[in-house]
Amino acid sequence: MKPLNLIALLLFLGGTVWTFTQSERAVREVQHVYFSAMAPFLKSGSIMETQSRTFFDEIQHSTKLEVELGVVRNELGRLRIIESRFREMETENERLRHALNYKKTTHFDVVPAQIIRRQPTTWWQTVDIDAGEERGIGTQLAVLSSDGLVGKIDRIYQKQNRASVLLLTDEKCQVSARVEGSPEVGILSGQRGQFEGNPLLRLRFLSADASLHQGQRVFTTGRGGIFQPNILLGTIDSVEKGALDSEALVRPSVNFADLSTVFVVLSADP
Amino acid sequence: MIRYSFTTILLLLASFVVQQFIPAFTSFHHSRILLVQLTFLCAAVTVGQPTMLLLAFIGGFFWDAHCALGPHGGDAEVYTQQVESLRFGYSIILFGAMGFLMQGIQPLFKQGKWQFSAFLSGIAILLYLTAEYAIITFVRGDFTLSTSTVMQMIFTALLTMLFSPLVFWLLFRIAKACDHSIDPDASRRRRPIY
Repeated sequence: MKPLNLIALLLFLGGTVWTFTQSERAVREVQHVYFSAMAPFLKSGSIMETQSRTFFDEIQHSTKLEVELGVVRNELGRLRIIESRFREMETENERLRHALNYKKTTHFDVVPAQIIRRQPTTWWQTVDIDAGEERGIGTQLAVLSSDGLVGKIDRIYQKQNRASVLLLTDEKCQVSARVEGSPEVGILSGQRGQFEGNPLLRLRFLSADASLHQGQRVFTTGRGGIFQPNILLGTIDSVEKGALDSEALVRPSVNFADLSTVFVVLSADP
Repeated sequence: MIRYSFTTILLLLASFVVQQFIPAFTSFHHSRILLVQLTFLCAAVTVGQPTMLLLAFIGGFFWDAHCALGPHGGDAEVYTQQVESLRFGYSIILFGAMGFLMQGIQPLFKQGKWQFSAFLSGIAILLYLTAEYAIITFVRGDFTLSTSTVMQMIFTALLTMLFSPLVFWLLFRIAKACDHSIDPDASRRRRPIY
């Protein structure tokens, strides 16, 4: 090996070791500098991606839309009836709560945001939203949709009013969960390598004799300090019994293939 | 030579910018064009080992800066078995390894047979993704390899490979502008003999 090549190789290995030994804080600072420099490109890139996606979606779905419109109109009529009944029940419920001197139901203090981009990374399942620190958003905050839990804030793009959300479908997003109507609690997370259709989640660390059945709803426990309690996660799809513990596959309540508006939970007022 | 090496570094940095404008192809198993890796692989075959290693370091470092996720957070008593992340900097090793692979067929490239390098860039991308997935599996345990993952990797490699002639064309143009020959053997053959 030529001396110059050897020196280059040693420098390369030294640089790699230096990079490996950087602390989490130093890495975040590097990322901050990187994303500050990339800010204008990220912004225009996300605008372009959103526009192209919208354009192609419109072309793809234009014929379906007419059929769907008819179905939606029928559904709207049905929902109006349900809504009027729901209002009645809500009033009755409120009255009964009052009568029993219960506290008001908990309400989350949320910030609405639009999904503006799916990140061009390799494995991580993240999306970018158009709300950041200017609207009071910080890392590790829960992100919801009207159907349930979406994920949590992983990164804030400083001075860009944008944030990155780690989706519940990713393996790294773990949620302490409980199964409705049973004493079972476990840790719910996404599964690796699921990209097609609606990915299933895996609920681990259930008891070996867990008596669960398909369709049971899964909620957050509120333990763990990140996610508030009683947020819907999904429904049990199947149960895999093991010698020491059981695992369940959970169908998420949120349609991750069609995310548009989400809500970042700033705080949960008791 | 120095001007060319410096320009390839700038080209690699520019590829990070262009990467932001390339969406995922949902209809092709959510595959993506990995322009940063492709630019590095194509440049790696045209430069010497020291420059290749410098490119690998820059490419891997910034790629990790782009992709690295934050810590899990939350109560450690509840999340007792947190999912491990890959260490910041692992891409530098992967970039370096793929760079050495590309340099293996540098003699063919110098003879003007860039098509082999273009084909190898596709294989290198596939190997890169496979290695990355294998590392993730090793770090996190619980081996799972679904068909969709395999398809995503294959289509990503294929789509990326299709763009390699474009990157090589760009590199040839840059080399010409820098008055530097990246395929000296072929250039010698092309030169008329009087």
